[in-house]
Amino acid sequence: MVFGLFKYVDTMADAASKLKTEGIDDIRVFSPVPVDHEMDPVLGEKKNPLRFFTFFGGLSGLFFGALLVLTTAALYVLPRGGKPIWAAPPVLLVSYETTILFGVLMTYFGFLVLSGLIKNFYSTEEKICFPETMDDSFGLLINVRSDREEAVMKILKEFGASEVRTIAWE
Amino acid sequence: MSNHGHDEETKVRVDFKEVNRDIFSVMTDTGPRYYVVMALFAMAAVGLFILPWAYQIYNGQGVTGLNVPVVWGVYLVNFVFWVGVAHAGTLISAMLFITKTPWRRAIARSAESMTLLALFLVTLFIFIHMGRPWNFYWTFPYPNQRQLWLNFQSPIMFDVFAIGTYFTSSVVFLYFGMIPDFAALKHHATGWRKQLYSVLSVGWRGSDKEWHVHGKATMFFASFIMPLVVSVHSIVSWDFALSIVPGYTKTVFAPYFVTGALLSGFAGVITMLTLVRWAFPVTKKYITLMHYDRVGVFILVLSLTWSYLTGLEVFTGIYANTTYETEHLIYKLAVSPYIYLFSLMIFCNTVLPLILILKKVRKSTSAMFVMCLFIIVGMWLERYLIIPNSLSRKFLPYMWHDYMPTWVEGAITIGAFCAFVTMFMVMIKIAPIISPFEVKEDSGVPMEKGGH
Repeated sequence: MVFGLFKYVDTMADAASKLKTEGIDDIRVFSPVPVDHEMDPVLGEKKNPLRFFTFFGGLSGLFFGALLVLTTAALYVLPRGGKPIWAAPPVLLVSYETTILFGVLMTYFGFLVLSGLIKNFYSTEEKICFPETMDDSFGLLINVRSDREEAVMKILKEFGASEVRTIAWE
Repeated sequence: MSNHGHDEETKVRVDFKEVNRDIFSVMTDTGPRYYVVMALFAMAAVGLFILPWAYQIYNGQGVTGLNVPVVWGVYLVNFVFWVGVAHAGTLISAMLFITKTPWRRAIARSAESMTLLALFLVTLFIFIHMGRPWNFYWTFPYPNQRQLWLNFQSPIMFDVFAIGTYFTSSVVFLYFGMIPDFAALKHHATGWRKQLYSVLSVGWRGSDKEWHVHGKATMFFASFIMPLVVSVHSIVSWDFALSIVPGYTKTVFAPYFVTGALLSGFAGVITMLTLVRWAFPVTKKYITLMHYDRVGVFILVLSLTWSYLTGLEVFTGIYANTTYETEHLIYKLAVSPYIYLFSLMIFCNTVLPLILILKKVRKSTSAMFVMCLFIIVGMWLERYLIIPNSLSRKFLPYMWHDYMPTWVEGAITIGAFCAFVTMFMVMIKIAPIISPFEVKEDSGVPMEKGGH
């Protein structure tokens, strides 16, 4: 595994592009800010199923809120001066709020799962961290066989990496 | 892009390394004066908020001015007021995120923090008002001893769900946004801070996968929270509007309350940001006069909208032409001392903000600070003139009763402000009130070919 540190995003994108043409696909980017806009054209747009978590959360919240109001009103009848036992406003309002509540919580859970943050707790490799990329630098982590590491390091240097090193993990 | 020039104007240009250093210094470089001020506010919060509340718990609700028919008094005024203050944070972070307004980034975090702290006070005021706070769990939907469930047809129950959802979502949204910042700051920190930020950053490393999901999740959160903001204060307004009490039963209340909430919320944001700029001069780099200018425009628009809705509220009362409604209006608009309070409210919320039409005023921190204090007073008065005042003239004259808050209610009201400032000062020292990554994002990523 090779890690290269860059000061500029465009030079990093150029380096990643060159590596891609060399047939190296397992490239990860580390940055202090999102750089999707600059890196996606090179590395390809990512897809993630977060929306399904959000949708499932919202939908379950909708049913939870509606069922809570309707079933409890039916189970414990409180007659209120001829008003309906099942009324639309409380069902709509409570389920509206629970849709949002469950949607938010499931989105957060989905974020933890899909971003790999939960996995990080259990994986040695995923614990590799680059403090420089939290400040002002941008990093490329390239997963290649050890016999190709030398060539990758050369490309990174060629494209202006300020620092290049190999990373070992169990 | 057509608005390219506009974007350039609102960008905060900073060096990436400098951002982490600056924001970390705000959190760690604490002079003795800061501790002294914080201790004074904390003591005021204990003396004016905690102790009077303890006194009230010990002696019962009889120590307040609440009595039939005015059973909703200053505590609920504070409840509605603080819900309002909470609104601006979410608006700035969610609504301006969705509309891709770049200048929100530097001030969004502190506004979100204000949301959280204000909502904490909101929750407390419900229990202060109810008395017997140890029975708080009676508001939760669980089968009680009588095997009866809560009455979901009551707007008070809508409130439990609305405030509960708002509080939970605000905590998640605030914390979620802070994860990359905690990760960045843990490398600068030592001791307990390092341990705390390591736990809070949940293993964030800033990889492309993490940022990608983070960006998507932010969009979903913002999309959820925006309608939530509108629903929460609409539901709060229905606590009143769904009743048949003269002065409460107005269909315009939902937009009226939401607009008022945003007005007071923006005033609160400017007040706190001015104090932050004053206490930490390094933040002037990030919270600039451009922010004052933009928020000033918002305040002007909200003030005009609020003024229109206030006129509408009074007019619909007159137009209803029922004796009950008329009596309430006479009491609110023509009887001392309420005529003076109403006039002061109009001065604070309608007349004074008109000077915001001048850019010079919008770009003056001291003018904005003073004006926002007036708006805060004005918006508090608005709630006062609606909540206890309407109950004072409820239907038949044998029920009429003038309400006067006691010293306990007054102390708790002032103490809440002190508690808010204390909590905000503690928060500044624990969590970044300016988001480093968002400020960096605003500045633009460094490019070798073509600057930022």
